[in-house]
Amino acid sequence: MSPLRGAAVMVEKELLELRRSPVLLLSMISLPITIVLMPLGLYAWLMRAAPEQAVDFLRDLYGIAGEGGKAAALAALLAKNWLPMFLVLPIFLPILIAAQSVGGERERRTLEPLLATPVTTLEIILGKSVAAVVPSVLLTWIAAAIFCGGIDALALPHLPPGSPAPLPDGSWLFATGVLSPLLALFGNAIAVVLGSVVADPRAAQNLAGMTVVPLLGALVAQLAGRVSLGWRFYFALALAALVADIALVALAARLFDREKLLTRWR
Amino acid sequence: MPAIEATGLAKSYAGRRALWDLSFSVERGEVFGLLGPNGAGKTTTLRILAGLISPDAGRAQVAGCEVRPGSPAGAALRGKIGLLTEQPGFYDRLTARENLVVFGKLQGLTAHEADARASRLLSRFLLAPHAARPFAVLSRGMKQKLAIARALLHEPEIILLDEPTVGLDPEATREVRALVGELAAEKRTLVLCTHHLDEVERLCARAAFVAGRLLAVHDVQKMAHGAHRVRLELDSPLDGALALLRGLPFVRAATPERAQTLLLELAGRAHAPDALAALVASGARVLSAVPVRDPLEEAYLALLGQARSEGLIS
Repeated sequence: MSPLRGAAVMVEKELLELRRSPVLLLSMISLPITIVLMPLGLYAWLMRAAPEQAVDFLRDLYGIAGEGGKAAALAALLAKNWLPMFLVLPIFLPILIAAQSVGGERERRTLEPLLATPVTTLEIILGKSVAAVVPSVLLTWIAAAIFCGGIDALALPHLPPGSPAPLPDGSWLFATGVLSPLLALFGNAIAVVLGSVVADPRAAQNLAGMTVVPLLGALVAQLAGRVSLGWRFYFALALAALVADIALVALAARLFDREKLLTRWR
Repeated sequence: MPAIEATGLAKSYAGRRALWDLSFSVERGEVFGLLGPNGAGKTTTLRILAGLISPDAGRAQVAGCEVRPGSPAGAALRGKIGLLTEQPGFYDRLTARENLVVFGKLQGLTAHEADARASRLLSRFLLAPHAARPFAVLSRGMKQKLAIARALLHEPEIILLDEPTVGLDPEATREVRALVGELAAEKRTLVLCTHHLDEVERLCARAAFVAGRLLAVHDVQKMAHGAHRVRLELDSPLDGALALLRGLPFVRAATPERAQTLLLELAGRAHAPDALAALVASGARVLSAVPVRDPLEEAYLALLGQARSEGLIS
């Protein structure tokens, strides 16, 4: 059996299980829905209720000039400030899947029959990783597309005719196109590593979930007007994620020791 | 060349010895029993033979593949082994058929082959009406039958069965034993790991008694078809009875045990009424006639006693 075929069977199995897990699916979908609807609702309300006051407030807080009118100013603010939430998504979503998929195999006693097949360690890790990363990145892209489309739909009627759509700008394209997959790999690798060393899959999931805290901290700091996350930050984050991904994948491959996984929690 | 040839296998977990100096061989087409109490190292032995873990010492040839310390056997060995694990271990949300197909594909079968073999095994094991039901809702017996079906999916050279009837109700136990019996009748190479003596007696040609190390290997069928022993208690002198019994052609031995009891060894169970009738006809008064435990049980308990006295098991 070629390595890709074994991994493909693992992906097929993982996705089939995911499709049959309504609670997991609901938790995966609810986060992007909240992240998309909340700012769009706020934007729509601000544009209708108190656009002038909102722009004044934003000008004071963030120093946004408001060129191009109130709609462009608000759209730019939301685009800038809400972007980190779309980076939390690709980390968090694979953790939901991957922590359960490694620790869950052990908990449901499916690990021994799985390891008794000719499928290799690499195929198992690869299959589980693809099944966790691909849906997470796709969901992030769909959520980002809806968010950008929503902002544009709400902003464009208030912008001068012929104005370009505010989103996606360069930051958004880089963040979703480059950074999201790297962060999804990071979330998945963290979950695989913790799922391999922590006996309880829920504990592994909770621990892995803690990795989004620094990013949430950056988001809060930006919302409070303390920092301004720009190109340099996202580029540095991408580099850091790339290095972490390589290190974590190597660590995961070492920790995913078939014999230890079977006998450690006897 | 034997299907399995294990020599001096040893394994420890975190400094605790689970298995040491275990040697035995299993011929092709033989049903071999691994008997022993809980914690005797039976599952560890099966895991080594299945290529799931590597031994700390010793080596084994399994289906032509080498198992050695420090180098876990590769995919080639795992593809030749059908392993029934102690717990069925399937994916709860997948149906019985989907589970079989997934494991078939993981064994290297094409989608079409996996589906066809799953259908055939589901029918054979009377699981076809439950094929579309999620694994989680199947009864314990159905789950175990499905697990046996999985062990056969890729038509392995050797089938390793770890406690196939543990935790099953009497009806499911009977069904699973019948299935294992069918496999044995097909002359497949089977290693049956259990602590149910009747399973071993019914299915196995030979059995190894294990308690950390190998205590003995017995020819089960020879034992089962050997002498039938009856303990007799008489209310009359033994001398006359012993002389009479020793003169009967089907009596192998008659041995006094206590003042009024003797142990009678017959050529077969069918001769017990004849021996008793001859005694009664001679005027002897028989107070009781109790069959002695079957030889396998006797041997098992004796070996357990030996293992306890040697500190091999607690």
